[in-house]
Amino acid sequence: MKILIAVSSKEYSGPTLSVGMNVSRAFKAPATIVDVGEKINEFSTEDVGMAHERIESWDFYRPGVDVLEWAFDYLADKEFIERSDIEAGFPKNTLVDIGGNRCEVYLKGTVCDNVNLILRNGDIIAELKDEVQKHHYDVTIIGGSQKRRMAHDLIQYIDSSIFIVNNYNPDQSYKILLAVDDSIATSKAVQYGARVAQAFDIDVDILTISKIESFGEGYKNAANRAAKFLRRCGIQHQNIYKVGNPSDVIKEIAGDNHIIVMGTSTRSPLKKFFKGSKPLKVMENCQCPILIVK
Amino acid sequence: MPLLSNKVITEVLYWVTRKKWLVISFLLSIILFYLPSPEGLLPEGHRTLIIVLTVLILIISESIPLPAVAILIWIMEVILGVDTADGVASSFMNDAVFFIMGSLMLAVSIVHQGLDKRLALGIINITGNKTWRIVFGFVAVSAFLSSFIGEHTVAAMMLPVALSLIRNAGLETNKATPLSTLLLFSIAYGCAIGSIGTPSGGGRNVIMIGYLSEFSLVNISYVEWMIFAYPLLLLEIPLAVLVLWFTFTPTQKIMDSAVRKLKVHVAKTGKLTGNQIMAILVFFLVFLGWVFLCPIIGLGIVGLTGVFFYLAFGLIEWKEINRNTNWGVILLFGAAISLGIQMKETGAALWVAEKALITLEVIFQDVSIVRWFVSVVLTGILTNLLSNAATIAVLGPIVLDMGGDPLIIGISTSIASAFAYLTIVASPTCMIIHSTGLVTSSDYLKAGWKLFLISIVLLFLVSYFYWPLLR
Repeated sequence: MKILIAVSSKEYSGPTLSVGMNVSRAFKAPATIVDVGEKINEFSTEDVGMAHERIESWDFYRPGVDVLEWAFDYLADKEFIERSDIEAGFPKNTLVDIGGNRCEVYLKGTVCDNVNLILRNGDIIAELKDEVQKHHYDVTIIGGSQKRRMAHDLIQYIDSSIFIVNNYNPDQSYKILLAVDDSIATSKAVQYGARVAQAFDIDVDILTISKIESFGEGYKNAANRAAKFLRRCGIQHQNIYKVGNPSDVIKEIAGDNHIIVMGTSTRSPLKKFFKGSKPLKVMENCQCPILIVK
Repeated sequence: MPLLSNKVITEVLYWVTRKKWLVISFLLSIILFYLPSPEGLLPEGHRTLIIVLTVLILIISESIPLPAVAILIWIMEVILGVDTADGVASSFMNDAVFFIMGSLMLAVSIVHQGLDKRLALGIINITGNKTWRIVFGFVAVSAFLSSFIGEHTVAAMMLPVALSLIRNAGLETNKATPLSTLLLFSIAYGCAIGSIGTPSGGGRNVIMIGYLSEFSLVNISYVEWMIFAYPLLLLEIPLAVLVLWFTFTPTQKIMDSAVRKLKVHVAKTGKLTGNQIMAILVFFLVFLGWVFLCPIIGLGIVGLTGVFFYLAFGLIEWKEINRNTNWGVILLFGAAISLGIQMKETGAALWVAEKALITLEVIFQDVSIVRWFVSVVLTGILTNLLSNAATIAVLGPIVLDMGGDPLIIGISTSIASAFAYLTIVASPTCMIIHSTGLVTSSDYLKAGWKLFLISIVLLFLVSYFYWPLLR
């Protein structure tokens, strides 16, 4: 199991890092923090590279390294990681160019076994897709974005579960809102939901929504199986049955004090592309963190 | 079992969304191919224009790598019957491509010598500690140096100097302030202004000289170009300083402590090394070669001779040049020049020129203003969207077919392609300062539109009142 945490700036990435490291702890998985810098026009790639080499010779670091340095310090301050300062470490922040717009970053004089730092440049979706595909991450954690296209592309193309840390407030008490139905994605969503609930030490609301007045056997069984699994894990939970449009109901119940966990859509990629999907609608509607499990 | 798995469909959808402009250009080229050739345009010319349109879409959209665009040009030229494979190959390599190759390699060789600290000391010794004088020094030195050694080289060397001053002024080097924006734009705009000064200021100047000579219009030497362009360069420097100063007025009017810290930092590097002296000497010889030998052996060969000396004297290793030279750009410019020559030979350039003249004459009534509008304003706009050398490679044959004095039209177009002030992608220097994370795309527009208009007016005045005196 591997976790990828995408950060962008010091101002907005704190909550993403906190949530990411809690999830990483829950799954006992190593985390990689990636900063994706802006795309460099192809006419200028070598010229920009040469300018960056010069600024590094004056002890400046290219943009992004400061964000990763801050992220590392943030995690150490919040005691998510143990920072070991060693004399034999790199004498200054060091970038190892792996090729394909990707650099591994080693911070000056420190080591940390369970966190890797990566700097990339380019289109954010393309870079995250490439990172996930080549390095086999299971969960990608990223801050919220107002751009609908970006949300759509994240869900459609990134080949891992996606945790979008929308408006997360560390001082607020949250509950998990676990949306279940009879689809095959639900069982994995239940497992992930349980792990996240354990990581944050919070209760779970199991939400089953039917568009018609009666609930089919498949829906009831899914809710019961989820409850049984959570009971076995020792997690406090309650079942909620609601009738209505799924994305509207989820929005209403979630409010701003839930972390939504739901399985990915089982629609065909073509339908998802043209008509969207339930997770995408939920993501657009809701103002709270959401984990879409693939 | 479905014919295609969901994973395959997802990958196809991803490819289509990322490459939509490739698909659009492909479909568009097929549609245009089957349309009858417009009146007055030969089928070869019609097909050449299809290639031009496809290439413009692909370069602006960046949907495929630049070398792939270059290769596509060659393939399309042969497949569409514009020229034979041997003809395409021979039009690909010429002195302008040699020059672009040589200047990119020279840039790597010069930047590699670590002369930036010397440069820093030189600038602050002249300017002192007043911020406006430092800004003036940045613009003037960037303009002067880039007029000879190319803008990207100068920007790469000046960037650490600016960042060092920003840090020494007690500001964060990852947070934009008016001072950081001001200093960085002083470099970018100074380099852009300087690149018009001599043929070696930019590959586009050499491409234009190549076209003027290739189409048997006029031959222009290194010094003649300087006599035409340098006065404009000198006029632009103080105006650029004023525009930048009043757009990004800093709170720090004096940078005493920053300058002192920079002097201390630079003093630690000691005296010039033997290699650095040799590197400067070789470049000086290259400059003399450009001035005195270019009519005989060409600008490109002089530049490559400099690269030869850098390599032969061990001032740089080949792997360093190989790693830092943008071979994709060389391929693309070579292919774009080849396309430009085909535009001329197939009559496509003349057809577009005539159509543009007829259409725009309705608006402007005066053919000389139309010529000027296309050669300067259109080039200025296109250069901010495309790349300045690619703009000249494509527009060059068209503007030279519009009539009028080819030298004045040619130099005006080439100079207008340096007005790359408005966007990040306009030139490598704009991209270099943007890569620091300290300037945003709106900053380019804030100062850029003023300098763009001033530059156009200045060019108009110089081309109408000064250049005719030289003819």
